[in-house]
Amino acid sequence: MKAAPIFEAGSHRWWILYDQEERRVIDANVYVMESNGQSLILDPGGFEVFPQVFAALVEVIPPSSLKAAFVSHQDPDIASSLPLWHACNAQIQWHIPKLWEGFIRHYGALEAPLQNIPDEGGDVLIGGRRLEFIPAHYLHSSANFHVYDPEAKVLFSGDVGAALLPPGHDAWVGRRDRTGRAFDEHIAKAKYFHQRWMPSNAAKKDWINRVSQLEIEHLCPQHGAIYSGENVQRFLNWFDELTVGMGIRP
Amino acid sequence: MEIQHIMQVVDASFVARQSIEKSLREIDRRALNAMVLVKRHGNTLAGYGVVAQAFRERAANLKESASHLQETIAPLIQAHMRILQHQRFVASFSAIAQAMAQYGQICASLENIRTRWRDTIAREEVEARKILLRLIATVDVLQEGIEEQEYVVTNGRIEAALAEDTGAPLMRVSRDMGEAVRTVSNAIRTYRHQLESLAYESSTDI
Repeated sequence: MKAAPIFEAGSHRWWILYDQEERRVIDANVYVMESNGQSLILDPGGFEVFPQVFAALVEVIPPSSLKAAFVSHQDPDIASSLPLWHACNAQIQWHIPKLWEGFIRHYGALEAPLQNIPDEGGDVLIGGRRLEFIPAHYLHSSANFHVYDPEAKVLFSGDVGAALLPPGHDAWVGRRDRTGRAFDEHIAKAKYFHQRWMPSNAAKKDWINRVSQLEIEHLCPQHGAIYSGENVQRFLNWFDELTVGMGIRP
Repeated sequence: MEIQHIMQVVDASFVARQSIEKSLREIDRRALNAMVLVKRHGNTLAGYGVVAQAFRERAANLKESASHLQETIAPLIQAHMRILQHQRFVASFSAIAQAMAQYGQICASLENIRTRWRDTIAREEVEARKILLRLIATVDVLQEGIEEQEYVVTNGRIEAALAEDTGAPLMRVSRDMGEAVRTVSNAIRTYRHQLESLAYESSTDI
């Protein structure tokens, strides 16, 4: 797995850990935010990829700086590594959707300190910086949150924006491409994911309306590559037009 | 092996790598400053020029040696985290076996699978120890490079004393060089000490 910086302003930094080596499980990105020596890990990944996520993490932060972890929803590729992180550092506070508490403890984390995020969202303070938990219910999970950092203008968007990319993929969607061609090529690999995994057009519209109010420089999905600059608006427009929930055909 | 001890070493690896990289950048900067100073004074500081050049070349070698550090740290961390992962399996099978025993039931295949995972962990511990010894050897190479650099700094001090009448602030330059080398030397020594303690613990486990 590789580590790459997304944002840096003094002691405030964001990283992506991406392109995992284990291909038998779905490739997932892990994000890390550090502020004044304290860190938050976002969707820390599955049990099977824990060793490589941990090794990649140590390239960018000392693990003792981890104060909190964020779990966007209950899926195993997001939270099944929880008991291993807890074994390494029992002080980590786990911010999880309240609805999923009893489910997430099934991963073998009866003792872990879980902080429930209510349906309406909330926030967390890491190293003096406030991050917002933005509700993204039914995208795709019934209790689902994204994280917004207003200073860095980073939106961690969970499965929204996800794409299924081949091994060795880049961390960004054509950052230097101004024409939009790189976006068009990329989004073809995101289409099925959104059509099939996202169940609700109403939830999608509601999310787009709320997220459009935010200033976003980097939209960071849990699978695939980061949308930066103009690609953020391109993505929001594309998603707005897409019909989701294709598992049920009228 | 205690996971908390491994975590301490993991943290120490991060701190050591950061400190070494920062100090090496500083050493390179000091060496470059010294060379600029020598150039400004023309032939009068030719002797010190040789020292500054040697200092810079060794700084480049140290950077090269340090770059191999991360290549060995990552596999060591992965190896230990894999062991942690597999220990969870053993713990989980043990819990099931215990629960069954309360009802007077014994499951032979459960015991077999638990033994297989224990054997796997034992093999992984041997492998992790090999990686750790490789990392210590990499740190040793770095330490040797630092000792050579300390020798160059001493030569620099002698040359600076000889060229004192030129008015160039060579003593200060040499002192700065010495300080930069001492910082990285201390960081490496501390790190090696931590790795040795992990190696000792792993040798008693295996």
